[in-house]
Amino acid sequence: MGIEFERVNYQYTGIDEKGYLALADVNLSIEKTGEFVALIGETGSGKTTLAQHMNALLTPSEGRVRIFGLKISKETVKGGKLRLNPIRQQVGLVFQFPEYQLFEETVEKDIAFGPKNFGVSDAEAKERAKKAIRSVGLDESYLERSPFNLSGGEKKRVSIAGILAMEPDVLILDEPTSGLDPLGRNGLLEVFSRIHRELDKSVVIITHDMNTVYEYANRVLVMREGLLVYDGDPLKLFSRRNVENWNLNMPDVLKLQRELEERFSLTLNTWPRSRGELLKALEEVLS
Amino acid sequence: MRNIVIGRYVPGSGFLYRLDPRAKLLALIILIVAAFLIDSFLHMAVALAVVLLLLLAGRISVKRVYLGLRPIVFLLIFTFIFQVLFNRQGELLFELPLHFTLLSVPVLVLAVFFWGFTKKFIRFRLIYFIALIVGIFALLHYIDQGIMFWNPTFAVFDEGLQTAFFIMLRLIIIVTLSTILTITTKPTDLNLGLEHILKPLKIFRLNTEEIAMIIAISLRYIPTLLDEANKIMLAQASRGVDFKEGNLKEKVMQVVSLLVPMFIISFQRSDDLANAMEARSFVPGRNRTRLHVLTWRALDTACLLIVGLFFMAALSTRWL
Amino acid sequence: MSFIEMENVTFSYRSEDKAIDDVTLSIEEGEWVSILGHNGSGKSTLSKLLVGLLKAQAGTIRVDGIVLDEATVHDVRERIGIVFQNPDNQFVGVNVRDDIAFGLENLQVPRKEMIERIETYAKKVDMFEFLNKEPQQLSGGQKQRVAIAGILAMRTDVIIFDEATAMLDPKGKRRVLEYMRQLNEEGTTVITITHEMKEAVLSDRIVVLKDGAVLKDGPSKDILKDRETLEQSNLELLLPLEVMHRLEEKSLGDERIKEHLWALSLNG
Repeated sequence: MGIEFERVNYQYTGIDEKGYLALADVNLSIEKTGEFVALIGETGSGKTTLAQHMNALLTPSEGRVRIFGLKISKETVKGGKLRLNPIRQQVGLVFQFPEYQLFEETVEKDIAFGPKNFGVSDAEAKERAKKAIRSVGLDESYLERSPFNLSGGEKKRVSIAGILAMEPDVLILDEPTSGLDPLGRNGLLEVFSRIHRELDKSVVIITHDMNTVYEYANRVLVMREGLLVYDGDPLKLFSRRNVENWNLNMPDVLKLQRELEERFSLTLNTWPRSRGELLKALEEVLS
Repeated sequence: MRNIVIGRYVPGSGFLYRLDPRAKLLALIILIVAAFLIDSFLHMAVALAVVLLLLLAGRISVKRVYLGLRPIVFLLIFTFIFQVLFNRQGELLFELPLHFTLLSVPVLVLAVFFWGFTKKFIRFRLIYFIALIVGIFALLHYIDQGIMFWNPTFAVFDEGLQTAFFIMLRLIIIVTLSTILTITTKPTDLNLGLEHILKPLKIFRLNTEEIAMIIAISLRYIPTLLDEANKIMLAQASRGVDFKEGNLKEKVMQVVSLLVPMFIISFQRSDDLANAMEARSFVPGRNRTRLHVLTWRALDTACLLIVGLFFMAALSTRWL
Repeated sequence: MSFIEMENVTFSYRSEDKAIDDVTLSIEEGEWVSILGHNGSGKSTLSKLLVGLLKAQAGTIRVDGIVLDEATVHDVRERIGIVFQNPDNQFVGVNVRDDIAFGLENLQVPRKEMIERIETYAKKVDMFEFLNKEPQQLSGGQKQRVAIAGILAMRTDVIIFDEATAMLDPKGKRRVLEYMRQLNEEGTTVITITHEMKEAVLSDRIVVLKDGAVLKDGPSKDILKDRETLEQSNLELLLPLEVMHRLEEKSLGDERIKEHLWALSLNG
């Protein structure tokens, strides 16, 4: 009982332009626990639209989305009788730009905002804020500061902390590492990985970075012009055919591995997913 | 918010579209003044006929104009009632004693609440509203039981009635003409026309090019701001903000959670934009060549001449 | 005499920490230089100083022989154009055509020539079909291309790309990088400001900034394998190079492999 998409279509209508089908016949099932999903696709492919269906920000034009058993469709949402707000706590969605979200006087208040909206007491919310700020790699001194005096990377972490403090069951992140330098990037990805491993929560990351996909994801969803064209193992995704057809970037590690294997007839014993693993595998083969 | 189509530009053809925006703006101003000069029913009727003719000749959809008028219908009715109530000049036409008593006032309040709750089920809201007004008067007249604390006489005088009609008609003419302007003129052309027309104001040390540029940049960002507002609402909804429900305190918080990010983003944007503009050699106050130029044609002169004639005609009604 | 000369330039936003700390740097005409540094290293401050959007508290900046000050700032801006990071916050015009025209109007280019230039440079960035489109109808990458066209139309000698690809998707990034390469080939002096090693490596020369000061300044080839410098600045070594280093450390692999790895890293 996780998040299920059944034949979902979403018609997007702009103000002056004609509408277009942002999601076309999407069928998908994400478990509540254990999954680390990478959602990839070009701009306009529908990945953000897909993510926004997962916490019921959007309702399908046709078809159904079931979130932890609750059926979301055009029919069930009409009339406003269905209470969608609780879903937002269960499925936490972090937007790409922290500027859309940060608004309180202090970082502490901003992080506490989410939990308080779901009935958490002031005292408990403060505790959660402390925990959340530390989990995104910033120390407690940040809590007193204004969210607007922070650097881009720090703002990003605060916005993520704001959703983590809500203690959602499933975490969805829209390009959480874009604009961060390599150190920042790796730091945050470790945080998500830890949440996934230690708390066994499912994590969905929208990203353009194939290295992230390759190293962390155990499942990849590829969106293309509103269609879900691939749903499966990250390794099989980067077959030569797929890379060509879908114009994908290759993860650095896999690219190098293939190069070396072809050029120098090396065969590694494993499929390394990260730099560290690649270095180790190469050491083994060459010694 | 996405339905702001009141008087918005609709692409089309015809002489109204081909006129120079300066001619259109000047014509609008002159015609509005003319509308205030007219003060007889006959001349009002002529003016309305002329406006209608303009709509038809310019092939403007009457429906769109009606939609442009819809928002001010309540204003029109309110103005009408206000004038009728308080203008006591001329001959008495009609008298109705009203009784504000301990019984009639509560009944009145109940009636208003009843209207408030049931109006969503009624199709013809305007007629229902008028019925409410009539009902209120009827109530206040016929229910005279109970301790009376106010006993005014609602009186309608002929001049009051006339003035009320005139004001209403003038508003209709003005709004219709303005709507025709905005339907047939792109906002950027309107801005350019305004910039040229305001040039004489330079003697008051007003930088008209700067004002026009401020307007132009604001126009450019309206769609962007609408889009961002939507995204911010979604982002805050993801943190539990329920924009549909909430008591007063919650509603204030909802608005704050939307406005603060919008302001912050806008401040950052102004900073970035100012840098980008200066980096592209923008110097406020310095002369600039322009890509878009307005060309005044015979059609525009003809337009102003005809409008001038109407103005003269309106002026003459005052002195004849 | 180099086209751009910075001598002992220092700048602070507030009275405390220096955003740019005693930087001395020259850039020749026709060069392609990358300013590489972690977030907060002062890279964007540098580009703003070069066009006089910020005023240095100490040091001199010379562009094409002209000393940069209040009087000459406009002359300098005619020689250096900047494409900024946020596609939405530099798009002034109501549509593509008007935006490209903006700079030309400021330069008092005659109308007829304006129209020609708009057409030429819109075509150059493949946005000719989009001349009537409004910004909300365009993607981030398209808006950046319009920004580039706007700067190209102004025919500056130098173009600074100030983290111009940071907010773009991979496709958009690739396209902008391709324009940078093309422009430099045609003789334009290009300055790329970035924190991505993969981008910096495309240029001839890299200047590594750390906390407002120049850590290293040299040919890309050298900076590329300077592990110490890169680690110090929180920057990542390119993967082939990291492998190369590890093999050398452990005395594994032969020359062929190492050479191939080196070649791979040069290609980004």
